[in-house]
Amino acid sequence: MRRNASFTVKLGYAGTNLFVLLFSLSALFPIVWMLYTSLKTNKEFSLSTMSLPSSPSLVNYSNAFNIGNIGSAIFSSLLNTVIAVPLIIICSFIIGYFFSRIEFKGKQVMVMLFLSGMMIPIHALLVPLFVQFKWMGMLDNRFTLILPYIAFHLPVAIFLFDSFIKGISKEIEEAAYMDGSSFDYMMFRVIFPICLPIMSTVAILSILGTWNEFSFALVLNKSSELFTLPIWLTFFSGQYTTDYTGKIAGLVITSLPIIVMYLFFSNKIMTGMTAGAVKG
Amino acid sequence: MSSSRLFKLQAGPAFRYLIPIFCVYAFTVLLPLLISIYYSVRNEGGTEFVGLQNYVALAKDNDFWFSLKNNVIIAFFCVVGQVGIAFLIASFFMTKLLKLEGLHRIAIFLPVVLAPIVTGYLWSLMYNYRLGMLNWLLDLVHIQPVLWLDNPKYVLYSVSVPLIWQYIGLYFIIFLAGMQNISKEVLEASEIDGATWFKKTAYVILPLLKNVMSVALILCITGTLKVFDHIYVMTGGGPGRSSMVMAQYAYNNAFTMSRLSYGSTISIGMLILCALIVLAMSRWIGGGGER
Repeated sequence: MRRNASFTVKLGYAGTNLFVLLFSLSALFPIVWMLYTSLKTNKEFSLSTMSLPSSPSLVNYSNAFNIGNIGSAIFSSLLNTVIAVPLIIICSFIIGYFFSRIEFKGKQVMVMLFLSGMMIPIHALLVPLFVQFKWMGMLDNRFTLILPYIAFHLPVAIFLFDSFIKGISKEIEEAAYMDGSSFDYMMFRVIFPICLPIMSTVAILSILGTWNEFSFALVLNKSSELFTLPIWLTFFSGQYTTDYTGKIAGLVITSLPIIVMYLFFSNKIMTGMTAGAVKG
Repeated sequence: MSSSRLFKLQAGPAFRYLIPIFCVYAFTVLLPLLISIYYSVRNEGGTEFVGLQNYVALAKDNDFWFSLKNNVIIAFFCVVGQVGIAFLIASFFMTKLLKLEGLHRIAIFLPVVLAPIVTGYLWSLMYNYRLGMLNWLLDLVHIQPVLWLDNPKYVLYSVSVPLIWQYIGLYFIIFLAGMQNISKEVLEASEIDGATWFKKTAYVILPLLKNVMSVALILCITGTLKVFDHIYVMTGGGPGRSSMVMAQYAYNNAFTMSRLSYGSTISIGMLILCALIVLAMSRWIGGGGER
């Protein structure tokens, strides 16, 4: 009886660990495969898909830069992210501050309009936004994507800031007000620094969203010097259909910055990406 | 109470901050909707007003309903695959038997941060008939290679697997966070009473996670109804129309066939359908919670 019980415990222990280990490996392996396959040549890849590179070479990467001109795509992606993310943070902080602290006419309507932005399936805006930008001559411009990227990330960011600021004691502002600080000073110099924890969450969400965004970049910009990395990938695989390892190197270049960021801030990213859900 | 005067909105800040930002939002999210409603009631080329003709055509459009059906099927696979498996894995984390929990967490969540398009390309390589990892595995056990993405019979399964693979981590972390919020006393009490892992999970953890579960379900369903990037990269809706989804159908109409007004009509139709499904879902889940 005693021996039996300990046997089941051991079986359960081994089974649980084995199952979860296999599961983790299945999540990890395609990414690891992508990383090491990018170091193989096409010839080696077609001979054996799974083997490790016998003599790792960076030829796919140098091709991506010299022939594929991926440098310009990296620049576009970087520029979009660097411009959009700070603007998302500042704008959503301001709106979140107004929503959580200030009563004004039409606030309910505005809250509802921003909330509905979270509900709209983003691809339902794909055709409409194209139509509108075409109408206004805003297509195919270095800064075309900035506006949609800001607007699409605002709703979630606003509600993260809103609920965070609601948790800050109002006495801080009262004290600042008594000391004669202006509205601007109070908002940006007193409250804004307190919001640092939620700011980093918003930053992570918008960096991921902006860097990885595909469909709007596909539709709104057509000229090749404006391609972001995801668009570069579709273009490249359309042009060089059989250059598998070249494409894999492109995949690595697109995802490596994100993976490195993830390895440094994994906990922050996990809580950030699930923040909306856990709060309900 | 004294603070209410302090926090009244003054005209200055409103005009300086609130209104400009709201205008940016309205310009990029609200205005396009109005413009596309305008487009959807005009003929191709926008020369004349045609009333609801486009909508009538949409209601009769077999391809559109077929792509909605595909969306619903993929959503079903994803609910089972993402939410179901994620819950199972998260429940293993509550058994205290597991080693290296931190590393598992990091590994399982990693695919979530990848760009959807990277996932799409990575999996289309793994699905490759001649060079793919999956046919290589089949070859090891001497099974004929499979045309994963080019066979209408399998393609819906094949495009769902990468979606499931990528987003399991998200739901896993959501459930894990929810489970860690359950009070330790309740779990210990059930253990002392001799509940097995299955009983503890099914009768103690699951009922206590009802709210988290309904949020996860709604997230998963809305997420899969708008799926586009993965499909665009892997199949483009093909072969034929067998993996067509609504977003891809709207894209094809508006951009491949340059039918902007019909594309707008599909977008509006998609918006309404998604809203209806989410509304019905939250009613259904919410109603189930009260019983």
